[in-house]
Amino acid sequence: MTFAVELLGISKHFGAVAALDNVSLSVEKGTIHALVGENGAGKTTLMRVLYGALQPDSGEVKLDDQPHTFKNSKDAIQHGIGMVSQHYGIIPALTCLQNLILGAEGGPIVKVSEAKKRADELAKRMGFEFDWDSDAETLSPAGAQKLEILKLLWRNAKVMILDEPTAMLSPSDSEALFASLRKLVDEGATVILVTHRLPEVMDHCKTVTVLRGGKLISSHPVSEVTDRSLAELIVGGSLVEPPVIEPVRDLGIALDISKIVVKDDRRHDVLKGLDLQVKRGEVVGIAGVDGSGQRELFQALLGVRKIDSGSVSIDDQEVTNWSSAKRLQFGLRLIAEDRHEEGVIEDWSLEDNAILGLQRLEPIQKSLFISTPDRHKWAEVVAEKFSTKHGGLNQPMRTLSGGNQQRFVAARALEMSPKLILAFQPARGLDLNGTADVYAAIREKCKAGASALVVSFDLDELLIHCDRIVAMNRGELRQPKPEEARDRQAIGRLMVGAQ
Amino acid sequence: MNGKITALIAGALAILATGLLISGVSPMEATKTLFQGSLGSLGAFSGTLKETAPLLILGLGVYIALKAGLFNIGVEGQFLVGATLAATVGLRVQGPVGILLSILVACLGGMLWALPAGLIKAYRNGHEVITTIMMNYVAGRFTDFLVQGPLKAAGSQEASTADLATDTRIPALINSGAFELGWSICVGVIGVIMLWFWMRKTVAGYELQAVGANPTASKFAGISAKKIQVWAMSLSGGIAGIAGAFQVLAYEGRFYQGFSPGYGFDALGVALLAGNSAIGLIPASLLFGILAKGGVSLQANGVPKGITSVVLGAMILVAASIRFRSVKSGD
Amino acid sequence: MIDVLRLALIMATPLCLAAMGGYTSERGGITNIGLEGLMLMSACVTALCSAHFGALGGVACGVLSSTLLSILHWLSTQKYRIDHVISGMAINAIAAGGTNFLYGKFSDPNNSGKLVVMPTNYFVVAAIIVPFLLWVNSKYGRFGIRLMAAGSDPDKARLMGTEPITIRFWGLTATGIFCGLAGSMLVSEVQAFTDNMTAGRGYIALAALILGGWRPIPTFVACLGFGFLSALRVQLDGTQIFGANIPAVWASLPYIVTIVALAGFFGRNRTPAGIGKL
Repeated sequence: MTFAVELLGISKHFGAVAALDNVSLSVEKGTIHALVGENGAGKTTLMRVLYGALQPDSGEVKLDDQPHTFKNSKDAIQHGIGMVSQHYGIIPALTCLQNLILGAEGGPIVKVSEAKKRADELAKRMGFEFDWDSDAETLSPAGAQKLEILKLLWRNAKVMILDEPTAMLSPSDSEALFASLRKLVDEGATVILVTHRLPEVMDHCKTVTVLRGGKLISSHPVSEVTDRSLAELIVGGSLVEPPVIEPVRDLGIALDISKIVVKDDRRHDVLKGLDLQVKRGEVVGIAGVDGSGQRELFQALLGVRKIDSGSVSIDDQEVTNWSSAKRLQFGLRLIAEDRHEEGVIEDWSLEDNAILGLQRLEPIQKSLFISTPDRHKWAEVVAEKFSTKHGGLNQPMRTLSGGNQQRFVAARALEMSPKLILAFQPARGLDLNGTADVYAAIREKCKAGASALVVSFDLDELLIHCDRIVAMNRGELRQPKPEEARDRQAIGRLMVGAQ
Repeated sequence: MNGKITALIAGALAILATGLLISGVSPMEATKTLFQGSLGSLGAFSGTLKETAPLLILGLGVYIALKAGLFNIGVEGQFLVGATLAATVGLRVQGPVGILLSILVACLGGMLWALPAGLIKAYRNGHEVITTIMMNYVAGRFTDFLVQGPLKAAGSQEASTADLATDTRIPALINSGAFELGWSICVGVIGVIMLWFWMRKTVAGYELQAVGANPTASKFAGISAKKIQVWAMSLSGGIAGIAGAFQVLAYEGRFYQGFSPGYGFDALGVALLAGNSAIGLIPASLLFGILAKGGVSLQANGVPKGITSVVLGAMILVAASIRFRSVKSGD
Repeated sequence: MIDVLRLALIMATPLCLAAMGGYTSERGGITNIGLEGLMLMSACVTALCSAHFGALGGVACGVLSSTLLSILHWLSTQKYRIDHVISGMAINAIAAGGTNFLYGKFSDPNNSGKLVVMPTNYFVVAAIIVPFLLWVNSKYGRFGIRLMAAGSDPDKARLMGTEPITIRFWGLTATGIFCGLAGSMLVSEVQAFTDNMTAGRGYIALAALILGGWRPIPTFVACLGFGFLSALRVQLDGTQIFGANIPAVWASLPYIVTIVALAGFFGRNRTPAGIGKL
């Protein structure tokens, strides 16, 4: 067996965190090799090492048995490695041809007719068709994906890394993509497929490597695994036994989401008629891989993303057309996903940040004014709740570490009489104790009559802390069977779309 | 302090010193002339304050927009529109009522002149810098046209309105002959203090600054960034209009072609140098006033007054790059 | 009529050269409100140096001066990461003040005669050729493609192995050269330098660039249109409206057209997507 790529004992640390811990990967020449794992398992980091975009702390990269050290991506590209990232590298303002050749134009003056000829040959080889002079912005997601593959061919890539290539494709487009990949492989190319979707692995790949928490878990021929066993390898065995959670007393429906349709930033329907009910006092966890629609759901609930149809009610009050200001005043609270961009104003003091989003609520607002003594008292409450370590409430937010910012932001959302708490990764950047504290506080508020909807990419965290878990996959919510409501494997399968 | 920044400051000073040496004036001598001409006597200081007043009020206008994350380069045009309207109203309605009405109309005019830029920014994503620059030129040409034609004083040789009646002018607050203190500067200082208070104590001030500091986080905090941008731009224009009214009512007594010697541009510098607190507008505008007034004395000594603009330009670059460094080093 | 068209072409020439300078800057992602300052600096230096080094030497020195100032814009926006608008403003201030100072100091007050200058026809030819060269470059030039990529999405451009910061350096160098020629043209027209002689032409050039949707040929056409408006204004001189000379209001037409365009009344907004990004 000849290996096109061998990564041997790769380790990579970011600060104190080990993103990759002695990971090895051998990819057979002329095959499609799947690399699977949860968010944060280290898949993309490993591929960035291979692409020369990251330098490993230790370990060796071999191509065709020859050791190589790539200083940067340009270096890797020259050695026949190509990568298509999740969000594509197509620049809409350029024509298709210009996108194809960008960075490999072959001289200061582009010989357009020759370039087109070669482009057509490449396209023909793959069974694609392109109008090379049209603007790339007119491309559909499938068209963009095809162009990405031609870009790899244009650069004579022999090893092709595809990171979540089907994330934006329809099922039929995905099939077409795999047909082209098989064709490439038959011609001698080697493909590494990074994916969350197990059916793709089962149907199209020869070998599958599983990473979890930056470690190599296993590497098997696909013929030796089932999607069920694979899902178990991906999520792993639980470290802790999920506690038995007493059933929530039925106090009525706190959040009623009925058939909402929401578009993503690319104007595609991402939630297509989603339903969800949360009982008063209940903590509901949404499990799922990143990008399944959790973000859009939360934004729609907060009122910063348009709901095209369907309705949302909180405590029997329909809020579908309310402004976010009104929803916040009504008692909606958010622990935002992206702390830096959405949760805090980094240049501002802790005290000013303490009231962000609460500035129009009693007792902070007194007629037109902000009550300074109340703001100060409130900031103290927020900082003390989870013992945020800080150098004074007048210090700018950016002087705090990530974990301390998270404590602050979580406390801010919980302490001012919330009705419904939307928590996106509420324990991001916190240790086990910090995590437990934040969830305990959420639960305490729910006991007092609030409800919570929690998104996390860590299934264990949800299993331990939530009353109920639903899985989200490609914009759809899937309820586990009652007898499997706390079954890690079963939920894991729902998350990745396995049977 | 970063080595590059030190180099930048040194570079700016070197430019200045070289310029002066070329002019055959010793840098020490020039500095002395500059300060004597602007602060050396009560009369000189009065002149400096007179230069400072419009810069302070206009700087205030730029500053409000800046805090909402908008560059109002259009204060020049809004100032001209305000001044023209104030002169027009003041000539028709006399006395204290005329004064109040002039200020009010000038403020509205300034707001309306700034409004398209705010709307285009918020709802069409057209850069406010470009629209306000264009609006400046339209204001310049249009007010020129008005004083050349419809508003021109009968029988006047130059393009100018008639003079306002004495009772339609705002008298000096203190006028001892040697020293004169106008109302404008006081209005400017009061405005700065009010703005400072408004930004620190009111919910609206808080939300406006949130939009300027992080529009995305503001959105998630239930703040309507677009509405606030439109309002901030209009408010900024309104203040510039008021500055125009005061320039007519308190100092010039009329509107004429070439009314603004570039106050609008200097006001941008004032707001940029003011830093994080509105109070900083006061020293910043005074600095510009000193350079403007002192520059005239320099010119009398054979140093073309352009040298002060070069120094201001260099200072703006240095201040802006230092701000970036300090933000970055906090990471 | 022929006279008007000839005049229009002459009026359009500095606008077009400056607008092409704006193109190589903004297409690469750098907002440039400093075109006015670059032109002014070149005009002043051209006038000063023509007296010593002859017509061609004057133009060369003028172009060099505006190129250096343009590279200052690159330094401050790309290396010091100053806001592009602030940097542009500072450059305008430095140019306005600097030319006032330099001309006040170095012009020979005894020599009130006309300067020896390059014939304006050379500039007119350049103003016609440059847009076509840039258009060809945008289609067939490696530089053109990379410039467009840097201005649309610098991150993706970097991913494809190009260096946006370097591309922008050459873009701004071209900006300096084109604006320098525009400034020299102004001096050639009247054979003298006067304080603030650009009188807002840099901003009209920017307006033409916006109207042209940041594309060379449409921008060129917009400049011709503005040139034609200016030529008509000269023809209309003396005509009265409400007791004022018509040119006063006439001159604001380019600006009004641009505002309407920015408000989106002439189709979609074509602003380069990555403008102002690092």
